[in-house]
Amino acid sequence: MTAQATPIMQITDAIVEVKDLHLYYGDSEALRGITMSIPRKKVTALIGPSGCGKSTFIRCFNRMNDLIESIRISGEITIDDQDIYDNSVDVIELRRRVGMVFQKWNPFPKSIYENVIYGLRIAGVRDKNLLDETVEKSLKRAALWDEMKDRLHESAMGMSGGQMQRLCIARAIAVSPEIILMDEPCSALDPRSTSRIEELIRELQGDYTIIIVTHNMQQAARVSDFTAYFYIGELVEFGLTKRVFTSPVRKETEDYITGRFG
Amino acid sequence: MKKFVRRGEPFVWATGMTLSIIITMTVLLLYVVIANGIGVFWPQKLVQLSLNDGRVVLGEITKEEKDGNNVSRLQLKIGNREINGLDFTWISEPDIRSRSYPADLYVIERQENGNFYGTLAEVHSPEITVAEGQGTLVSALGKARHNLQPLLMTKQQISRKIGALNLALEKVNQKLAGYRYQHMDEKDKRIITLVDAETKLKTQFATLVDGGKQNTEELAAYYAIFKTADGKESTVRLADMVRLYQPNRMGLFAKIRHYADKLVELFIADPRESNTEGGLFPAIFGTVMLVLLMSLLSFPLGVITGIYLREYAHPGVTVKIVRIAVNNLAGIPSIVYGIFGLGFFIYGIGGALDQFFFPERLPTPTFGTGGILWASLTLGLLTVPVVIVATEEALGSIPPSIREGSLALGATRFQTLTRLLLPMASPGIMTGFILAMARAAGEVAPLMITGVVKLAPSLPIDGQFPYFHLNRKFMHLGFHIYDIGFQSPNVEAAKPMVYVTTLLLILIVLSMCSVAIYLRNKMRARYAIADV
Amino acid sequence: MDNKFLQRVRRKDKIAKTFIQVCGIMVIVCVFAILALIVKVTLPLLSPSKITDAQKVALSAQVSGTPLAIGIDSYGEALHLIDQEGTITFLDARSGAVITQATIQGQGKSQIRQIEQYKNSFYNILWQDSSLSMIEVRYQPKFDTEGKRTIEPSFRTIKLWPALAEPERLAQSYVRLSADNRFSRIDLLTDNTLTINHEVTTTDFLDNQTTENFSVRIEETLPGKVSTLALDDSGLALYAGTDNGYVVRWDLADNDAVKKTDTFAATENSDPIASLGLVFGGQSLVVGSKSGTVQTWMQVRAEANNAIKKMQMIHVLEPHAAAVSTILSSRRSKTVYSISEAGIIHADHMTSENHLFTIPDAYQVFGISQKDNALIALDSKRFIHIWQIDNPHPEASLKTLFGKVWYEGYNKPEYVWQSSSQSDDAEPKLSLIPLIFGTMKGTLYAMLFSIPLAIFGAVYTSQFTSAKFRKSIKPIIEVMASVPSVVIGFLIALWLAPIVERSLFSLVVALFVVPLLFTLVMVCIQPFYRNRRFVNFLSGYEFLFMLPVLFIGGWLAVRLAPGLESLLFHGNFKLWLYQDMGMRYDQRNCIIIAFGLGICVIPIIFSITEDAISNIPPSLTAASLALGASRWQTVWRVILPSASPGIFAAMIIGFGRAVGETMVVLMATGNTPIMDWSIFNGMRTLSANIAVEIPEAPFGGTLYRVLFLCATVLFALTFVLNTGAEIIREHLRKKYGRY
Repeated sequence: MTAQATPIMQITDAIVEVKDLHLYYGDSEALRGITMSIPRKKVTALIGPSGCGKSTFIRCFNRMNDLIESIRISGEITIDDQDIYDNSVDVIELRRRVGMVFQKWNPFPKSIYENVIYGLRIAGVRDKNLLDETVEKSLKRAALWDEMKDRLHESAMGMSGGQMQRLCIARAIAVSPEIILMDEPCSALDPRSTSRIEELIRELQGDYTIIIVTHNMQQAARVSDFTAYFYIGELVEFGLTKRVFTSPVRKETEDYITGRFG
Repeated sequence: MKKFVRRGEPFVWATGMTLSIIITMTVLLLYVVIANGIGVFWPQKLVQLSLNDGRVVLGEITKEEKDGNNVSRLQLKIGNREINGLDFTWISEPDIRSRSYPADLYVIERQENGNFYGTLAEVHSPEITVAEGQGTLVSALGKARHNLQPLLMTKQQISRKIGALNLALEKVNQKLAGYRYQHMDEKDKRIITLVDAETKLKTQFATLVDGGKQNTEELAAYYAIFKTADGKESTVRLADMVRLYQPNRMGLFAKIRHYADKLVELFIADPRESNTEGGLFPAIFGTVMLVLLMSLLSFPLGVITGIYLREYAHPGVTVKIVRIAVNNLAGIPSIVYGIFGLGFFIYGIGGALDQFFFPERLPTPTFGTGGILWASLTLGLLTVPVVIVATEEALGSIPPSIREGSLALGATRFQTLTRLLLPMASPGIMTGFILAMARAAGEVAPLMITGVVKLAPSLPIDGQFPYFHLNRKFMHLGFHIYDIGFQSPNVEAAKPMVYVTTLLLILIVLSMCSVAIYLRNKMRARYAIADV
Repeated sequence: MDNKFLQRVRRKDKIAKTFIQVCGIMVIVCVFAILALIVKVTLPLLSPSKITDAQKVALSAQVSGTPLAIGIDSYGEALHLIDQEGTITFLDARSGAVITQATIQGQGKSQIRQIEQYKNSFYNILWQDSSLSMIEVRYQPKFDTEGKRTIEPSFRTIKLWPALAEPERLAQSYVRLSADNRFSRIDLLTDNTLTINHEVTTTDFLDNQTTENFSVRIEETLPGKVSTLALDDSGLALYAGTDNGYVVRWDLADNDAVKKTDTFAATENSDPIASLGLVFGGQSLVVGSKSGTVQTWMQVRAEANNAIKKMQMIHVLEPHAAAVSTILSSRRSKTVYSISEAGIIHADHMTSENHLFTIPDAYQVFGISQKDNALIALDSKRFIHIWQIDNPHPEASLKTLFGKVWYEGYNKPEYVWQSSSQSDDAEPKLSLIPLIFGTMKGTLYAMLFSIPLAIFGAVYTSQFTSAKFRKSIKPIIEVMASVPSVVIGFLIALWLAPIVERSLFSLVVALFVVPLLFTLVMVCIQPFYRNRRFVNFLSGYEFLFMLPVLFIGGWLAVRLAPGLESLLFHGNFKLWLYQDMGMRYDQRNCIIIAFGLGICVIPIIFSITEDAISNIPPSLTAASLALGASRWQTVWRVILPSASPGIFAAMIIGFGRAVGETMVVLMATGNTPIMDWSIFNGMRTLSANIAVEIPEAPFGGTLYRVLFLCATVLFALTFVLNTGAEIIREHLRKKYGRY
């Protein structure tokens, strides 16, 4: 196949550089040599059919894949020019820099307040003022403050799904990460909650680098600045969202976006 | 009809029947224990039966039933063992001419020979002797019993002092034996001091024994003469009276007070008359201490192992095998644990401890024989699988997303464990604890070979240094049931006490289990929300 | 971020990880060590006996004559030797140095003609001049001031019989001293007749001693020429072996008469009897023949007439290649030592027919110590050999533990468990078969009772009753599960057993009345079934309506029983059982056990079955119901088959629980180790056996180890059962995703 334009765009101000990343589940190869850069303080959406490896891919950025025994990784991921798979890198510190929001909201069975400051507590922060401040700031950023400021000490388990997911986002930003990974954050939510989360993502953009995996192309089109299309463990196309959606370079991308399969 | 059968409805009904049989059995079981146990302390009316052959029989009616020839008969507790020989007698209903309930009848609970039933005839004390007039007799008896109190106190003091002296003597002797074991010269200063101390103690001892004898004589001056139903007289020393009451005169309030009094005795007093009367304090104490000691071993180990299996071990074939094995261990007969305790703890570890630390006492074993420590270690092993399984299941039911969420925020595993997982799993682990404790409280077979006894001379904890005597034998509620129900010479007389003990044990175990069930259901409800 | 804090957290995490891993692994290892330890305790039972060649010393030159007898003390420190000249020499076992030397006093100066050892420390010495000495050799341990042990050997002459008038007519002589002071002397004369003399000393209450003498002659014609005699330790039974293979037995209990009880051919082909001996306890006779066979015989009740006992061959021991010259027996167990003319020593345990060891070399004389722990022999080059025997459990072998064994006093080989008895010389009978049988019997009756109840109860609960009731039934079952077994044992033994004994027939009647009543109710209810409202009303509450049926049935049974009993069984069902059916009714029997164990295992089977059924995806049920199947058809054809592995697992786990239950069986069975399938009597199970016997079992003894073997069998049984069940459940979990 010959490409008229480059299917994979080069980024000048990249925060993350991925070079020839291979990932194996036991014997099967889940990611097949991915090379791309993630632009700083922009929203990057990863799309593709189920099982194409996008969730696995973002879990490489905060090394959540370490938890799974059978996974092997080769290649290189650098964040601000530091190889995160280097032995000298501390996973705990890495995870503080790279926050994550999961597909299924997972608030802890604690109060809303404690949920937000969990990241600070485990880092040993005891300053009450700082904690209070962080809670307010994070909840405000997650657009939960107005709803929740009187219920801070109630259990998080009594909230609605959308609220819980926003709480998880608040929890992630409370430790002021540089990058926030979002793994299909809206897939289990109703349309109203989804639109609130999307709004929130747009608001956060500019302060954080956000990498979002989504199944929903409209959502990718709505919230992201850049879009990467994955297919069976390979990065097929990566570029400005507008460009990818309007004039995809590769045939597979076009097929997927126009809904011919997926 | 055909359709009815073809659709299988009768089978549905038949399965319903099996369920009703199970429910009936359970309810019946509890009913029998409660019905027999709860009324034991309620004062029964004393009945005086005049028989056709002229005899007069006095006692409490304990049972009414039909004999082989369909004639109803009464079982009567007639007490007065020193006169009648037996506590119980059967009387055929047709033999009875009349029944009466004289108000003057007394029930006397004695230190020995069981209850006495009769009327008060004379009261003797050094100050006063009364021989007639019910009213004066009763008040004289009351006064005499009151006057007796200081003497009884002296008696207690003396026996306490003798106990202390005995212990001191034993210690001196042990030290002596130790020195002699080391082949120390008999003229060594240490030995001489000890021998001096021994003689001194022995003189003190002799004085005390003399005091005791005098005290006994003084006590013997207080006595009362009672008349049985057929006019025989019997002397009861006031010092031997534990409690006396006139049931036919008692109102509801007095009966309730009596009941409460007996209940208090049950919890705080020592058993009397080869365990068939008196209290259960040593058995309750032994059971509680056993369960607590067991918990000290089993809970931390079980929880840590559960955490290891679920959170730290690499999942694979090995873990699966181990899990099956642990489940399996929960099903291994308790007697097998008992015999392991005997072979490993008592003869293995205990024997070695004796060799190293108490060689001068051999061949009398110190730790190389059954004791509360070994029994609780054995029970600990028995209950470890219960705690492991409970911990594992509690941790396993926490959704993995919680762990991921915490780790993604930069928490270490240990932080995740202590800040999130353990608090979340705690109701489940607690359930495991309680079930383990309930099992330990009810288990008897392994104790029988690791140190439970029918009558322990002293508690495992007392005021003597080093306060905890974990090598001592102990008493246990479950074994108490087995012992007085099956090893007692007078099974019929022991029955009320067995039912009371059973009721107590069942109440303890069932209330523990109810708490466990409640906690578990609560936990389920909690995760049901978390899981949405 | 606070770096110090991070470091601390990280360090804590590492420490915790190591700690938890170490602890976890240790606990698991420990738990498995339990099995290892229990098995380890049992292992010595089956290990072969060990003999170690301890010493070999040259015989001191001070012993000049031909040695005729040799013996050793139990510590293996001192030994004695009697030579033909009548000199007894005590030697140090280690160095071979002479400790003391003395001459045994005969009547005059004479050589030894014949010497016989009995009880391993007594010697009967027949001198050439026909006088006879009975001596005893003693080894007394002495402790000096430092606690060091030395052995002080000595001997004493108990009695000396003077020479006979015609010494040349005497062939052999045997004497015994019984516990009640009766000296018995048996003389075999050259004309093949026997003389029996008893000297009875009685002491009256004033301490006056009177001695009486009795003499009896046996002059009858014997089947052959007597070659050897044997006399039991107290002189009550005499055996004579002949040169044509016959053995004659006389009873010598009476002072003034002998009673011939038996004459039998003890060998094949008229093989001469070379030597006779008695096994410890005196009940079994060891017959050694000229061709080298070794057999034991004992008295067995004849089948035709119970009163008569006849000698019968019971055990065959390892044969020798040459004639058997001497037979000695252990004073501890039923071990028999024999030496052949070729000088080869054999040790055999009689009951188990275990050949313990062979010492292949040419020895002249040999002896064993009192405690059966040292063997001594003298070879033809005048070297003394001493062996340490380590044979703590001669009575245990796979055969005695699991096979039929013919014990002394029994009429045929049997499985017997009888760990102790009054007399010291009776051997423990340790067959596990009656215990395994008892375990299986109790468990099977219990399962017969509990499986249908538990499984159908669970089916009803999970499929037919309403969700509301299901919630309240589970706690009832859990209550049942948590009742301590000691309580159940107590209730069924002291409350239920007397009731069942009194109204056994009512129970039998109820077995017929309740189903009849049930059928009647079904017939009555059936017409209403066309009414949908009625059906809906009842559905899910059937069990409540069955309660009165059950009660009325029970009440009817109690009412009807006396009438029926007098009508059918002359008013006494139990008597009828015993007289016409040969079944004895014990108060503590398998009916009671079935109830008791049932209450223990029903909750377990119930809840596992319920789990298994509830895990069947509802879609399966829905599909079946949608096809028009009735609720019972759905359960029978769809649910039960799919849940069957789970139900099977439930049964296995329940079985395992019943097998190991101790208190219930301990309290509610008679604990008699009998082998009888009758439901009306008791048994003894493995678990109860441990509880009953362990207080009596000394540490390290055979019984102790056999009880550990019982535990091992229980462990293995439950382990196999539970693992099987667990694998089935694991499989199910995989199939249905959760359990």
